[in-house]
Amino acid sequence: MRSAFRWTAIAAVVTYLLIFTGGLVRVSGSGLGCPDWPKCFGRWIPPISISQLPPDMDPAQFNFTLAWIEYLNRLFGVFTGLLILVAAILAVRHFARTIRIVLPAVLAALLVAYTGWQGGRVVESELESTLVSVHALFAILIAALLLYAAQQIHYVLNPTAESGRTYPRKSSLWVGILLMAAIVQAALGTNMRSTIEAFAQANPVAEGLAWLKYAGALNHLHLLLGVLIVLRGIFWASRILRRSENPSMLLWQSAWGMLILLMAQGLLGVLVFLSPTPIWRVLHLWCAALIIGVFLLSYGAVKRASRSPITSAGENL
Amino acid sequence: MNRKMPLPWPVLASLILALILAGIGYFVIRQADKSRSQLPILAEVPEFQFRDQNDRPFGRNQMLGKVCVVDFIFTRCQGICPVMANRYTRLHRLFQDAPDLQLISVSVDPEYDTPEVLRQYAANYGMTEGRWILLHAPFDHVKDLCENGFLLPAEDLPQGHSGKFALVDRQGRIRGYYDHDSDADQNLLKTHIHALLKAKK
Repeated sequence: MRSAFRWTAIAAVVTYLLIFTGGLVRVSGSGLGCPDWPKCFGRWIPPISISQLPPDMDPAQFNFTLAWIEYLNRLFGVFTGLLILVAAILAVRHFARTIRIVLPAVLAALLVAYTGWQGGRVVESELESTLVSVHALFAILIAALLLYAAQQIHYVLNPTAESGRTYPRKSSLWVGILLMAAIVQAALGTNMRSTIEAFAQANPVAEGLAWLKYAGALNHLHLLLGVLIVLRGIFWASRILRRSENPSMLLWQSAWGMLILLMAQGLLGVLVFLSPTPIWRVLHLWCAALIIGVFLLSYGAVKRASRSPITSAGENL
Repeated sequence: MNRKMPLPWPVLASLILALILAGIGYFVIRQADKSRSQLPILAEVPEFQFRDQNDRPFGRNQMLGKVCVVDFIFTRCQGICPVMANRYTRLHRLFQDAPDLQLISVSVDPEYDTPEVLRQYAANYGMTEGRWILLHAPFDHVKDLCENGFLLPAEDLPQGHSGKFALVDRQGRIRGYYDHDSDADQNLLKTHIHALLKAKK
């Protein structure tokens, strides 16, 4: 049963790494490094030199670096998919009757298969920006499902993990609102990226913040909501750290993680605006995925604590 | 603060991991950018001295320092030339903020394509501001430039002219050929123009 926890947790971590590499593919412009799918230039191992291209493919399209960046993300995606599959099988085997474990684990496995296939449609559409954004949002959702499943396995294995903990009042309400807001925020953010990409395609030589003029109302909302989430989240996390009595290790770590991630995200949000260096965009998206994850874990923990008796640990068995 | 709780080591370890990943990411993005501007040098544009649609002299010297797209067309052509001209208007619109990009068409039918005819041809496509340069010269010179300078077929001009665009960098070197009929090629052309414009002068 511990193995189910280990596989699910590892699958979650690896999915977060996959979100990072996927972001790299997008901002490095390697998405069409392999113009075909699932193979790359008709081969299972991408070509190293032009001489290996099949005769019906245009050699001008081949770029060694871009092809391998794209293909490594695909390989890593397949690897992640297999990990998730193993985690889901173990979850079904050991916790078949615990719906709050089986459902997210199986859903993650189904969704990762679908997202992999959908990645092929992304390539076919020549990187239609809505499809790219949906691809990223699915990955964030899969990571969140796996985290949730791992946390629930943890609670089955350690039923008293949240017993005897006292957290500030309305903690679960606020972190629940923050979680919802962060998901909306991620969707708004990918929408913003689509706007910028469309603008960059129509104006290939425009530099800096020229696209801002074309940003619609939704994009201003992204800025406003971002500031609200960062401030409210930092306030929430520091209150947990200061005012909790006997907090669980998980929530303690999550609150620290939340503090650091939210401050980093605020900084990254500004850097994405000010600096043309694309690495900030990858980190900004990645940080968003991690923030959603850490909100989810915190929500699970305070919810669990509010349902466990406050008196003494162990009685809840 | 709760003093009995330990420092958040897992969180700090993840932070270090994230910094390492950011470094790797930065490197990957730079490699990708570099690979895009590494276009092969296919040939050197030779010296030539033609005249443009305003009957001003135009040669290799007028290409140096600018990124140029070059094709060979003639105004009486009903086949692929209108398609090629439309590709040019599209590029012109896309890169209107980049004065360093020149679109050049060399007439392979100089008998008919006088400066006035060429000027009118550009106007028909709504391009009057001089970013589209239409060149004419004695037929033998055109054939020579097409065949030996730009390495494009010139067997039975004017009908037999190529449907390809040649991309020339600021140093007058040919860096790529792009078929007018292929959308994939046209996308590459845009990316490569952008990369050459960004490259140092």
